[in-house]
Amino acid sequence: MNTDLSKVRNIGISAHIDSGKTTLTERILYYTKRIHAIHEVRGKDGVGAKMDSMELEKERGITIQSAATYCSWNGIDINIIDTPGHVDFTVEVERALRVLDGAVLVLCSVGGVQSQSITVNRQMTRYNVPRVAFINKCDRTGANPAKVTGQLRDKLGLNAHMMQMPIGLENDLKGVVDLITMKAVYFEGENGDDIRIADIPADMQDEAAEKREALVEEVSMYSEELMEALLEEGDIDNQLIYDAVRKGTLSLEFTPVFVGSAYKNKGVQSLLDAVEQYLPCPTDVTNMALDLKNEESEFAVTNDPKDPLIMLAFKLEDGRYGQLTYVRTYQGHLNKGDTVYNSRTGKKVKIGRLCRMHSNEMEEIENCGSGDIVALFGVDCASGDTFTTDEISCSMTSMHIPEPVISLAVIPTDNKAQINMSKALNRFTKEDPTFKTFVDHETGETIISGMGELHLEVYIERMKREYGASVEVGAPQVAYRETISERADFNYTHKKQTGGSGQYGRVAGFLEPIEEEYEFVDSIVGGVIPREFIGSCDKGFKKSLEKGSLCGAPITGVRCTINDGAYHAVDSSDVAFQLASVGAFKEGYLKAKPVIMEPIMKVAVEGPSEFQGAIMGSVNQRRGMIIGSTEEGNYSVIEAEVPLSEMFGYSTTLRSLTQGKAEFTMEFSSYKPVPKSVSEELIKAYQDERKNA
Amino acid sequence: MENDLVVNNSLRALGLENSSAEGKQSMGLVMARAGLGKTAILVQFALDCMLLGNKVLHVAIGEGVDKTRAWYDDILAVLTDGEKIETIPEIMHNRMIMTFKESGFSKALFEERLEDLVKQGIYQPQCLIIDGYDFEGNTKESLEEFKAFMLEQGLKMIWFSAVSHRGDERVSASGVPAPCHDLDSVFDTVLLINPSKDEMKLDIIKCDTGSIDPGTTLLLDPSTMLLKKA
Repeated sequence: MNTDLSKVRNIGISAHIDSGKTTLTERILYYTKRIHAIHEVRGKDGVGAKMDSMELEKERGITIQSAATYCSWNGIDINIIDTPGHVDFTVEVERALRVLDGAVLVLCSVGGVQSQSITVNRQMTRYNVPRVAFINKCDRTGANPAKVTGQLRDKLGLNAHMMQMPIGLENDLKGVVDLITMKAVYFEGENGDDIRIADIPADMQDEAAEKREALVEEVSMYSEELMEALLEEGDIDNQLIYDAVRKGTLSLEFTPVFVGSAYKNKGVQSLLDAVEQYLPCPTDVTNMALDLKNEESEFAVTNDPKDPLIMLAFKLEDGRYGQLTYVRTYQGHLNKGDTVYNSRTGKKVKIGRLCRMHSNEMEEIENCGSGDIVALFGVDCASGDTFTTDEISCSMTSMHIPEPVISLAVIPTDNKAQINMSKALNRFTKEDPTFKTFVDHETGETIISGMGELHLEVYIERMKREYGASVEVGAPQVAYRETISERADFNYTHKKQTGGSGQYGRVAGFLEPIEEEYEFVDSIVGGVIPREFIGSCDKGFKKSLEKGSLCGAPITGVRCTINDGAYHAVDSSDVAFQLASVGAFKEGYLKAKPVIMEPIMKVAVEGPSEFQGAIMGSVNQRRGMIIGSTEEGNYSVIEAEVPLSEMFGYSTTLRSLTQGKAEFTMEFSSYKPVPKSVSEELIKAYQDERKNA
Repeated sequence: MENDLVVNNSLRALGLENSSAEGKQSMGLVMARAGLGKTAILVQFALDCMLLGNKVLHVAIGEGVDKTRAWYDDILAVLTDGEKIETIPEIMHNRMIMTFKESGFSKALFEERLEDLVKQGIYQPQCLIIDGYDFEGNTKESLEEFKAFMLEQGLKMIWFSAVSHRGDERVSASGVPAPCHDLDSVFDTVLLINPSKDEMKLDIIKCDTGSIDPGTTLLLDPSTMLLKKA
């Protein structure tokens, strides 16, 4: 472990699916001597790339869970989180970004900036993550790194500049020209291990000189010394340029762009140098924690290994070594055998074993310090928990977690499957805060919910493969909600006197729409409802919100105000007032013009411009509202808002409409009322279901 | 509140809605030097059309969808004074943004796109905003052809923006500056943002279809970019 924090880098590798980030990570591990042979993602040797440790990932050739790994380059410790490329898994990406100090944004030199790159870039901006860009696959036909750099500027709004020029492209890719040292760099030998530095090819010298001048001029904005040196028109010390680029990168005002081909073993070592030179070390970044003893006021963590420990669990994994908890240490240090506190539960936890993970292999260590990313063994916690010592009570700031928008029923085929499914669901809900599960009391079915079809599909597959839980799956259901559209009064008396002690409670007040989920307002004066029953009223209203009467969906956006009521000295009870409130809500709800709301997704479809009309037509047919279209050369992006219920099976439709040349991403945007015709259908279906139940 | 936005809008001074209500089709131009607020004015025209229930197609040449949307959000936030209006999301159904790179925009391409929208019944705009059209690189004839095509599509109102340059003294007889000094006859309305020492005036150079209130001068509030009566 490096105690000098300036020699630690915690980085993520994020990008669009299929831009080759797993291959890039594999090469990084090879060049940093963590592995001694190269295995391709979809290679013939059947080993699969090191970072795709889950079987499913190996089979599909995609990265689902971010596997953490550690390597060392030029005396710098680098912790890498490989992040998934599908938008359905963005919580994984967001979690990774939360604990990282910097990132490498990988782009395909042919595909360029695509919709997922836009999403990932937005997430990086949200978490203030400085990044360097790597334009991969320069060996592919149609590679055009200059165009991709232009897209980084135009589409992502980054001040992106190429730090290198490729020597040859496509099949002729030989190496790169470093625009700071003004030397050609060739990666030779079978696996590109042998780096040969040579003079820039004669036919590239003029262009390289021009580009260097433009680069130096641009980065001089971030360094007064460089600006002065530039004005003096003498030789410029390269270190001044490195420092200026670093300053611009750390302030998120500049994005250095590197080029190469991980698959062809070109340019990866230069990228590693860039990680060292330009991406921040833990002390370059200010991370905030919440002081739990001081009304959750924010304070900056110190990064000092001598200060009390603050550590965030950002990922749980159930692997062949038992439960693993990935943590990032923000200050203090941790030794094997230490006892720490979980700030959420207040429970003491003894750290038995501590290790660095290298994808699915591990290396036991004795201690870790501030800035480190390591894994703990056998610690019972949830993702997002903070660990501290007893000297301090704090929590790291909470992450932005989107609400699930789709659900489906899972039915175990036998008793054994039932037990295994429970184990799996327990694990998944701890691992992934966007994955939720509950039992529908009416049908007795287990319902799982998440962020998209693919998201749930992957968990079902994992249930089957990792836990041997054979399950049948119901049709996906959209998470509808109900809400009220206007204010309505209620005045309800619950009276029951059929032998034994009776029940009595009267509750009066009104319902009104609000932006928040629910609010209860007690405006009772003169004790017409005794204090001890006010909580019962709140409980009754909350219970009413669980299932609306239109389509059985949960009700949100309601303020329940009680301002009158009555009680009976003997017959009033907690239950009586709960039931009175349920009745009151029912009475007010129907008068408050309830409506059904559906999740609306922000959809971005990208494809060749020749299909723009067809794509727009397909979005339109799905009740989509087209927000805009962007046309760039032969490529178009159509942005739209489409109800989730209309998006099932869209990938198949899109594929057939565009000969497989278009793709789409979607993320939750908001809840909006459904049109009248859809509302009527949903109400009818719910009524039929109740009749048949 | 929504009604207030329509009735109290300073754009009423131009009376353009009367001509479109009568079924007339018109083409207008907003001119100014770079950075004075042409897009802000075009967005106000668009919002006014949208509030009146018309569908707007906003073509931004050289700008992204997000930036164009941000103009609408900003102007709307100022107009509504931050107040939440229930019907705003509905009103936004009346807007579609289409963006092109400067080098990628052509009359033929746009015609193809618009026909796609209209023929498939995806979107039938009544108002068209074209922000960033290259007047210097296109001839009067091509603009006239373009106008004929757009009017054929049943558009009630078309608005262009054009950048005038300080050094270019060319001006038409009616006062339309270069590069549109030869295009007087193509446009029914021409407005020019004219910054003076203390204020930004909106000169109404030409307004054939509207019914301008006598003596009306419009000003552009530099802090909000909103039009207001002098």
